[in-house]
Amino acid sequence: MTRALAITTALLLAAVVAMGVYLHILRRSERERAQNTPDTRPISAPVVGPASHVTLYLAYDDPGVVHAQDATIALPADPAQRGREILHALLGEYVKRPSSHELPAGADVKDVFLVNGNTAVVDTTPAFAEGHRSGILVETLTVASLVKTLTANLPGVTRVKILVDGKERETLAGHADLECFYDVVTLEQLLQQLQ
Amino acid sequence: MVAVLLLLLLQPAPSAEEKQLSIYGPRVSYSLPVSEHKGQDYVALLEALEPFGNVSAASEGQKWKLRFNNLEGEFRQNALLTKVAGRKFELPAPFVLESNRGLVPLRSLPTILALMLRTKTEYHEAARRLFLGGAATRFTTDLRETGLSVNFSAPVNPLISTEPGKLRMTFTRDPVVSNAYILRVENPLVSSIAFSENNGRAELVVQERVPLLAKFASGGKTIDIVPAPREEQSTPSSAAPAAAPRTAEAPVAMPAPPTLQSLAAKPPFMVMLDAGHGGDDPGVLLSETLEEKGVTLAFARRLRSELQNHGISSLMTRDADVTVPLEQRAAMADAARVAIFVSLHAALEGRGVRVYTAMINSMTSKPSGFLPWDTAQADYVLTSRALADIVKAELGRREIPNSELCAPLKPLNNVAAAAIAIEVSPSGADVGSVNAAVYQQRIAAALAEAIVVGRSRVEAER
Repeated sequence: MTRALAITTALLLAAVVAMGVYLHILRRSERERAQNTPDTRPISAPVVGPASHVTLYLAYDDPGVVHAQDATIALPADPAQRGREILHALLGEYVKRPSSHELPAGADVKDVFLVNGNTAVVDTTPAFAEGHRSGILVETLTVASLVKTLTANLPGVTRVKILVDGKERETLAGHADLECFYDVVTLEQLLQQLQ
Repeated sequence: MVAVLLLLLLQPAPSAEEKQLSIYGPRVSYSLPVSEHKGQDYVALLEALEPFGNVSAASEGQKWKLRFNNLEGEFRQNALLTKVAGRKFELPAPFVLESNRGLVPLRSLPTILALMLRTKTEYHEAARRLFLGGAATRFTTDLRETGLSVNFSAPVNPLISTEPGKLRMTFTRDPVVSNAYILRVENPLVSSIAFSENNGRAELVVQERVPLLAKFASGGKTIDIVPAPREEQSTPSSAAPAAAPRTAEAPVAMPAPPTLQSLAAKPPFMVMLDAGHGGDDPGVLLSETLEEKGVTLAFARRLRSELQNHGISSLMTRDADVTVPLEQRAAMADAARVAIFVSLHAALEGRGVRVYTAMINSMTSKPSGFLPWDTAQADYVLTSRALADIVKAELGRREIPNSELCAPLKPLNNVAAAAIAIEVSPSGADVGSVNAAVYQQRIAAALAEAIVVGRSRVEAER
């Protein structure tokens, strides 16, 4: 092999190795970018229905209160779907910036199921819990706002269970219990304190 | 008796295999776990300094920087040379950085604490007991034919246990010191008295010729050891001495199997301090270097010290940076039959202190059998709320901003005792104030005072 051929071969090999490394880095950064980007795809088809008046119970971190606020949103006829749309509107207020009670991007309700007429099971997205701020007060405000908004707008529902991505979870972000069923009567005392 | 045995199991004193270091200061005493690296004993420096003030640490690559009040320390992974409070010196073994925790060789800790705290230290290396600022409790013995009195220079709170032929007093929190000795005596009750130190604690062992029991006197400064009455030996429920011990760690005259009588007896007044989070669960990230788990542990230690000053014994669900599952914390409180459970947390939101009780409906009638796990708190929630009212009033009296709420906080619903949670927020705009010694001390003093005031109410409901 001539010296020129040896140098050319070495250069080509070095180029192949360098391109391989570059490709590996590109793939890794793309994978990380995909993982770090919140999943903002719609989780259900848009609903069609008449515009209805609902009451959202909005949480305010400062000074740690929950206040009722009227809203008008399009609601379908099915009670479970109505529940999902009402909570979607509520959590939409929290993922806005600025917000009175910030929740992470992607925090939403996947579905609401009604069981025995009086129990609602709310299935939330992973981002709802994974990105939730930790703290007794902030977690309590989220739970109180969500449960009160649902029970106030779905007559007959007196108990609410919160799931995360279809599974039971011990706490929301280290403090608020998500293994229990929340009932309206018990919650009322907290809401009075949060006025 | 069962409750006492369970309490003995829950004591911070570890098993024989686990090494520990006890540090005794003028105002606070605590123990830390000791870990081994390449045959050398190491201890976490941040945890060692936490009870004394505002401490934080940050690692930059191989470097680990520590800030304690206005002093700094610089350490480097696997390096011997270090700089503490502006002074360079060499560690006896390399510095270890493990999961962002800075570990220093145990033998270097007395020097580091002396520089950081600007105080004199005395280290009993073989026993792993470190005394700061001249902290020491000395004692004398007065042996008579009717009994033995051990007189201490300050009130003590030892764990007292008996085994055939021996009465053993173990001092973990008290800086009891003496030269190691065995004194053989000619006495109808006692054959020898021995003092020894080992693994972060001191022991005084009395070899007995007849069964003995111990009683506290003079506000805890004297322990009288007298013959156990014969009837007490056969009646487990009256095994505790007539002169009521100050704590559940107090005398166990004769070990005996549990009976229904002993189970029904009211357990001693004890507070369980639950430092929130820990280990794998850091809690809220309060700042770049300040995690909730560290703040709650420092605060729990301060509160323990304050309660001790009021003569109230406490247990801790954790006394180091370890993971303790939430339900296990409630189980520990229930097993120990504590009177009060205090869960400690920290947050960024708001100012001052929020006092929480369980979000649960109170029970209208006393349960006759086992308590349901999920609603164990229902029978106690009114007492919990009464205690929270007292805490709120005490905080208000000390002009600490406060509020009171119920909350669905894990694991309050599982606690069969008066249970409250405390969430400490910064005192002002500076987030770091949540970990400031002065601020935490004010809150701890208010809490301890409230527990003293609320004790009669809690006792009445037990």
